[in-house]
Amino acid sequence: MTFTDITHRKRAENEINQLNASLELKVRQRTADLETAIREMEAFSYSVSHDLRAPLRAIGGYSKFLSDEFGTLLNDEGRRFIKVIRDNVTRMDQLISDLLQLSRINTGQFHFSNVSMEEVVQEVITDVLPAVDRNRFRIHVDPLPAVKGNENLLRQVWLNYIGNAVKYSSRSEKKDIVIGAEVQGDEHIFWIRDQGVGFNPLYKDKLFGIFQRLHTQEEFEGTGVGLALVQRIIHRHKGRVWAEGKPNQGATFYFTLPKHANNEGKSG
Amino acid sequence: MKENPVEILLVEDNPHDAEMTIRALRKQHLANHLEHVSDGEEALDFVFARGKFAHRKPDQGPRVILLDLKLPKIGGLDVLRTLKSDPETKHLPVVVLTSSREDKDIVESYQLGVNSYIVKPVDFDKFVQAVGELGWYWLLLNQPPE
Repeated sequence: MTFTDITHRKRAENEINQLNASLELKVRQRTADLETAIREMEAFSYSVSHDLRAPLRAIGGYSKFLSDEFGTLLNDEGRRFIKVIRDNVTRMDQLISDLLQLSRINTGQFHFSNVSMEEVVQEVITDVLPAVDRNRFRIHVDPLPAVKGNENLLRQVWLNYIGNAVKYSSRSEKKDIVIGAEVQGDEHIFWIRDQGVGFNPLYKDKLFGIFQRLHTQEEFEGTGVGLALVQRIIHRHKGRVWAEGKPNQGATFYFTLPKHANNEGKSG
Repeated sequence: MKENPVEILLVEDNPHDAEMTIRALRKQHLANHLEHVSDGEEALDFVFARGKFAHRKPDQGPRVILLDLKLPKIGGLDVLRTLKSDPETKHLPVVVLTSSREDKDIVESYQLGVNSYIVKPVDFDKFVQAVGELGWYWLLLNQPPE
């Protein structure tokens, strides 16, 4: 009786040990694969930043030479073509910058510290709205809690949210923007509300997708990377993002941050 | 016969970037005494007056080196390392002019003793402005040791 029991237990122990060992091996292999993937991703973004910009610079530079030196030989339509080329160079440059930033958020290690959201928001407002424009917009900021996170990344979030609120209410009659926060359970919920063009709630799941845009370039400029960036940053802080809106009735954008965050923003 | 001292040594392998840089400098009237080489080996040959530059007097400039990082044969960071570790050339102002805004390139350049690090703007007007300002600063404003 006792004898068989021990045999069973021994066999079970052996099995567990073997499983553990093979699991350990698998984890090590997967980690190595992931590290290789991250290194390749870094090499890729390096190449994007260096090699894609050089031809772009040449296109921009030489079309500028063309307009400077031969502009008088062209008619209005010819000069317009050059302008279109140059505008697109600027746009692609912006796109490359945005994509690089996005890939860095995925692969980078970020230091977390105490961040005063009020200070960050005030600084971003100053950056986003030139002094001359500040009278056109009414921005109200409720008291905001301090959080644990990466200050640069959270600044990016506000830069995109506040930048969007300003951009999408710039042609609306009401240029009122309100920023606030509340606590719900173990989360901080931050939000920003504008009275701008809003969006069709049908598309609210598309808003945060990369290269997804609900407006044309002519209506509102943009690369379609901003909100994707916000989403990645907030996910790396273990939070959530969403938005509510109606066409021509403004929009509210939200993000949450856990009240008790870890100290590190590890990738993965 | 006195040879004209070279004021700017431009180390750039991309011919279009080189042409744009030279045009930008010319706009600021800074391109009169410029030598353009297209790899790191030629850059070092020029500075140390050897190889095809053996006839050159090494005391005839350059007063500033504009250095790309991604170069054939000897890379920009290695050129920088060689120049900054040689007592004869370590006072020579070196300005890295590159497409790379990678932190590791910036940090390593400064650790090696680079004097400025400029990311080439894609916008040509900004490019002219950046190149003009750095030329003006290093050739006219900066006072090197005698």
